[in-house]
Amino acid sequence: MLSKDIEKAKSIIMNYDGPPIKIMEVCGTHTHEIFKLGIRNILPNNINLISGPGCPVCVTPTEFIDEAIYLALEKNITICTFGDLIRVPGTSSSLGDARSKGANIQMVYSPLDSVEYAINHPEQQVVFLSVGFETTTPASCIAVRNAKNIELKNFSILGANKTMYQAYLALKDAADAYIYPGHVCTMTGMSELYKLRDEENVSGAVTGFSASEILSSLAYIISETQKNKPFVANLYPRVVTEEGLIKAKTLVENTMESCDSIWRGLGIIEKSGMKLKKEYIDYDARAKYDIPKIVGKPNKGCKCGEVLRGDIKPFECPLFSKGCTPEHPIGACMVSNEGACSAYYKYGENLWKKN
Amino acid sequence: MEEKLVTLAHGAGGKQTAELIDSIFKSNFKSKNLTADDAAILNPPIGKMAFTTDGFIVSPFKFPGGNIGKLSICGTVNDLSCMGAKPMYLTVAFVIEEGFPLKDLEEIAQAMAKTADEAGVEIVAGDTKVAGKGQVDGVFITTTGVGQIMEGVDLSGAKAKDGDAIITTGDIGRHGCAILLSRDSYGLTADVKSDCAPLWNTIKSVLDTTKDIHVIRDATRGGVGTVLYEIAEQSQVGIHLDYAAIPVDDAVKGVCGMLGLDPLYLACEGTMVIFAPNDKAQAIVKTLNKGKYSKKAAIIGHVTNDMIAHVVVKTEIGTETLLPAPSGELLPRIC
Amino acid sequence: MCVGLSARVDKIKNGMAVVDASGVKREISTELIENLYPGDYVMVHAGIAIAKISSTDEDEVNKIMETIKDAK
Repeated sequence: MLSKDIEKAKSIIMNYDGPPIKIMEVCGTHTHEIFKLGIRNILPNNINLISGPGCPVCVTPTEFIDEAIYLALEKNITICTFGDLIRVPGTSSSLGDARSKGANIQMVYSPLDSVEYAINHPEQQVVFLSVGFETTTPASCIAVRNAKNIELKNFSILGANKTMYQAYLALKDAADAYIYPGHVCTMTGMSELYKLRDEENVSGAVTGFSASEILSSLAYIISETQKNKPFVANLYPRVVTEEGLIKAKTLVENTMESCDSIWRGLGIIEKSGMKLKKEYIDYDARAKYDIPKIVGKPNKGCKCGEVLRGDIKPFECPLFSKGCTPEHPIGACMVSNEGACSAYYKYGENLWKKN
Repeated sequence: MEEKLVTLAHGAGGKQTAELIDSIFKSNFKSKNLTADDAAILNPPIGKMAFTTDGFIVSPFKFPGGNIGKLSICGTVNDLSCMGAKPMYLTVAFVIEEGFPLKDLEEIAQAMAKTADEAGVEIVAGDTKVAGKGQVDGVFITTTGVGQIMEGVDLSGAKAKDGDAIITTGDIGRHGCAILLSRDSYGLTADVKSDCAPLWNTIKSVLDTTKDIHVIRDATRGGVGTVLYEIAEQSQVGIHLDYAAIPVDDAVKGVCGMLGLDPLYLACEGTMVIFAPNDKAQAIVKTLNKGKYSKKAAIIGHVTNDMIAHVVVKTEIGTETLLPAPSGELLPRIC
Repeated sequence: MCVGLSARVDKIKNGMAVVDASGVKREISTELIENLYPGDYVMVHAGIAIAKISSTDEDEVNKIMETIKDAK
């Protein structure tokens, strides 16, 4: 039995017959849940859901993987990473391929686990692949700070941390409203979303990850869009507060500083990255190992950028399912379970055949 | 006292090999047909026979709910059972890493004997090799089995039909989850035991209820999800699953939630998937619910003539979506 | 991005806590969350607590749906 609220939200979504609305779910976990819940299959034609850039694996540039493989194979360094990154293609191979060649690649649940690993394996040099947005960055900061506190000499991070605000700005015209990433907002709070509404007319709703939260958020966005006035709402107040997580912000400010950052498919976005501050330079793998400048070469046919911007649907990319599949990904959007192309491929076959 | 270890001499074929075989294997494997010669001489099965082999490598070799020995017997017993064959004879081949503790080998052999006994199968021949340190991980076991197919039973992965009900004989994903926890890679602790079990008696009880069953398949590596895709392809049918009806242990759900995994793709070692005509399904489940290893058996979906070669899931909100097809290594999804 | 799971705090000491999510236990860092006690629920991501959870999604969704008044 579905709750009355879920029934009502479903009915608002399925019966929407107003002007076309473009909604972008920014977060990869939303993309994944929306597919898993079959929500796309009940959308009317005038609601266009676009999967945005909020999967750190998807937007991590080719050269980052190349750098990690260089450290693993050329410098014999143990790489600790979230499982998400194992199959991401670099210029010529993935970390999974490097593992087959003898690289020591350890999957961890938390950056803190990689510090533990380093403590327990003093004979190895350990590098944690620090990817992620505001939600994940504080965990990396805690790891680095803890390592510094105990003067751990065999641990460092290879950073590719990113912040969402500049990405929202870069994509502000891609949709009529955004399903904002609940767990990023947990950290940032609401102020930057108000700013986007007031200065850029960008609308959206902070959304949780349960079925009822996603459905009710869609219903809310549909109903608010009718009012033709920019809006922002926190629909995840049980987890997201107005001010965000102050202690996390302070921690990150003390440990990292902003830098320009390359987003796979989108290019360089100014001040959209985070790197370790000078006082933590000993824990920055790029400084520690003198990694040569690597220029990654993404596959030219790959249209991940256009997919991330919502300009095309995954199946409109010429490589989609023809050479680029979850088993043999070419573009980043096919690699991660949360990537738009992978989700379309795995869940959306009936959908893309229909369209 | 110093721990006794397997040495290369144990594998050299001389006196020490004989000692190892006598003290560990012969003392546990007590079948009257266990051969001391180059091959066992046996009475053949009556009617049709099933014949299968399987190799086992598992790290760690010991896990909550079993060890590699128990697993190696269950695997082959269950493969035979899936074809409706009563397991009769097994052969076992060991490749042991130099330095492997003898007491662990003893524990493995004991588990094998006990499990074989429970399944009513005789271990009739064996082989032991010792490999140098680092050439294998602890111990690898290969088992080969022969079974006698029950009369009137005709099972095949190509026989699923429109209208069939799909039954799992128990809750899913426990073996894969238990192994994942035993490896301690993600710092998680939970009380999850492998479902590893010999299922001949379970399957026999089902076949005694009705012989009108189309497919039985062991949901081992790749889990129930992989089996469903295999059958959908092999039988050229569509499969519709009711996600809420799939029995999953709470702790398994918790582990999956934390690591972004789907229990449908975690291995089972004591759970089968059965396809049977819908009008027989209730009786089958009722029989299973009384069994030692199948108390949580449930109907999880049905077979259709649409969505050929696909598995469609009915979600918690009443919509439909595809179950993602299995692909490669299971990787946790975190960031 | 950012898979999160809600879990109950079992034990807490020096900014670290053991949390329980349907019987699965793990040690996580709770240093970012103030005023946390055993029995509280937190959102866990990559080994740290990122929020204290203040109500169930049912209550929250009920309020959202209340606000969509003009819907049929």
